Amino acid sequence: MEIVSVLILVIAFLVLLGLGVPVAWSLGMSSVLTLLVTVAAFPAITTVAQRMAAGLDTFALLAIPFFIVAGELMNRGGIANRLIELAKAITGRLPGGLLHVNVVAAMLFGAIAGSAVAAASAMGGILGKRMEQEGYPKELGAAVNITSSTTGLIIPPSNVLIVFSLASGGVSVAALFVAGYIPGLLVGLMLMAVAAVMVKIKKIPAGESTSFKVLLEKFWKAVPSLFLLIVVIGGIVGGVFTATEASAIAVIYALGLSLFYRELKFKDLPAVLLKSAETTAVVTLLIATSMALSWVMSAEEIPQSISNSLLSLSDNIIVILILINLILLVVGAFMDMTPAVMIFTPIFLPVVTALGIDPVHFGIMMVLNLCIGLCTPPVGSILFIGVGIAQTSIEKVLKPLLPFFGAMIVALVLIMLFPEITLWLPRVFGLLK
Amino acid sequence: MFSLQSKLSLDKWIANLLIIFMALMVLNVTWQVASRFIFQDPSSFTDELSRYLLIWVGMLGSAYVAGKNEHLAIDILINKLKGNAQIKLLMFIQFLILIFALFVMVLGGSNLVYITFMLGQKSATLQLPLSFIYGIIPFSGLLIIYYEIVTIIQLIKSLKKD
Repeated sequence: MEIVSVLILVIAFLVLLGLGVPVAWSLGMSSVLTLLVTVAAFPAITTVAQRMAAGLDTFALLAIPFFIVAGELMNRGGIANRLIELAKAITGRLPGGLLHVNVVAAMLFGAIAGSAVAAASAMGGILGKRMEQEGYPKELGAAVNITSSTTGLIIPPSNVLIVFSLASGGVSVAALFVAGYIPGLLVGLMLMAVAAVMVKIKKIPAGESTSFKVLLEKFWKAVPSLFLLIVVIGGIVGGVFTATEASAIAVIYALGLSLFYRELKFKDLPAVLLKSAETTAVVTLLIATSMALSWVMSAEEIPQSISNSLLSLSDNIIVILILINLILLVVGAFMDMTPAVMIFTPIFLPVVTALGIDPVHFGIMMVLNLCIGLCTPPVGSILFIGVGIAQTSIEKVLKPLLPFFGAMIVALVLIMLFPEITLWLPRVFGLLK
Repeated sequence: MFSLQSKLSLDKWIANLLIIFMALMVLNVTWQVASRFIFQDPSSFTDELSRYLLIWVGMLGSAYVAGKNEHLAIDILINKLKGNAQIKLLMFIQFLILIFALFVMVLGGSNLVYITFMLGQKSATLQLPLSFIYGIIPFSGLLIIYYEIVTIIQLIKSLKKD
């Protein structure tokens, strides 16, 4: 490893990012600059172009645009609404019920749509108004919405877990998906616990209680939407189809359901496809240029040197995991999830597998860790969306956010210390040894 | 040619292409599932075709999104600056993207197309020339250069108003 290359890579990337050059382009530009240290100009630019295209040439990646389309359809097709109604019937009667409704609905919806951004904007838009009418502090509602919408990234199907599978060189998507359930639920429950305490302090009254009959009725209405999860996850776990095929089925199913509910018409479809293509392009360009950068890094043998220096510090699993988590918390604060997973998985995965940690366990831990970064300044896409929808400011939301960060960190520590939380369910399904 | 109106009509064309590619991608993988389960005769071309469609949607879509300035960026510094200083920084950022598109996507991409063309590389099942697939890289690069020029011209115009 040439120290010059590393310096150029890090400095170029940070300077470009700081100036405000879009993240994806900053990644591509710093790969070219780093390559120029050791390679002539023409081969360097050709290599980066080739790596960008080759990075996208994977069948597994196709699940990402499809889950994006499915999420877009559900958002417009009345599926999100029905899930919120169900969540309301379940937890609406608790004191500060709408906060719990937000968490439960985010878990249900985020799970189906696979995108935290979609969850945050759907929940914030629909529930935010209700919370304001019923006199909830705006900032508290935003804090709950921001943190709870990340649970959808851990609960399957999740696009980030597909990205992790790609970056790790083929950890089973089915195993990752199943592994996400218990950690995702754990995070959701922790957030609800903190919300309950906040409700006590702020003395928010109980919501209207629903009869069992209404609960059944709401559940019945949400059954077709929930059935989608069974088809998708059941199909993947049962080995009936691949994650990509399942995501295509999710699109067809969500389309059918939205047309059946008459909340979406055929003439709305081009707009849905275009919106999805834009979101897809943002993610794929990030993946393409991250692939170029991680290729450059491995050509310069940067991951090996980082692994070696980490392992020379300590060979205690817990010490190494704590170190990696601290690094990732800092990375997550500055970087979006997709490039962070693409770049840091090849660096850290060899270290932890050398110490006997299961890649599935590490993947879930890494994603949960980076979820915290999505909610923190200076760079946090979910934070920005949540604050924007609630029409408040980052400064005001930060204080009510702190206890919820605490809950996420406690969940992260538990998941780090007890691999069984993550690995038990995939083992039950025979997806892991 | 670099007016906002021509940019908008180009946007429409690209948007339509993206819609068609996305729809094809969904139909394609749906067909893959259907052919395996319903007709018991798994199709061999769908896997490849959808992968290439993703490269096309990704690259073409990136150009489209670049034209709308919607790629994720950290805009703390941009928002701190005011007036001409802000506009100049924005111009500098657009210029950097233009340079990247020119050198990596257009020049590097064309060289990649040339190499795969000379080697006569073809895809495994569809026998499509890889140079054709990779052609989307220099093409999208040209689109990005166009979009960046349009944006920079708009920025220069807003400079003069001060």
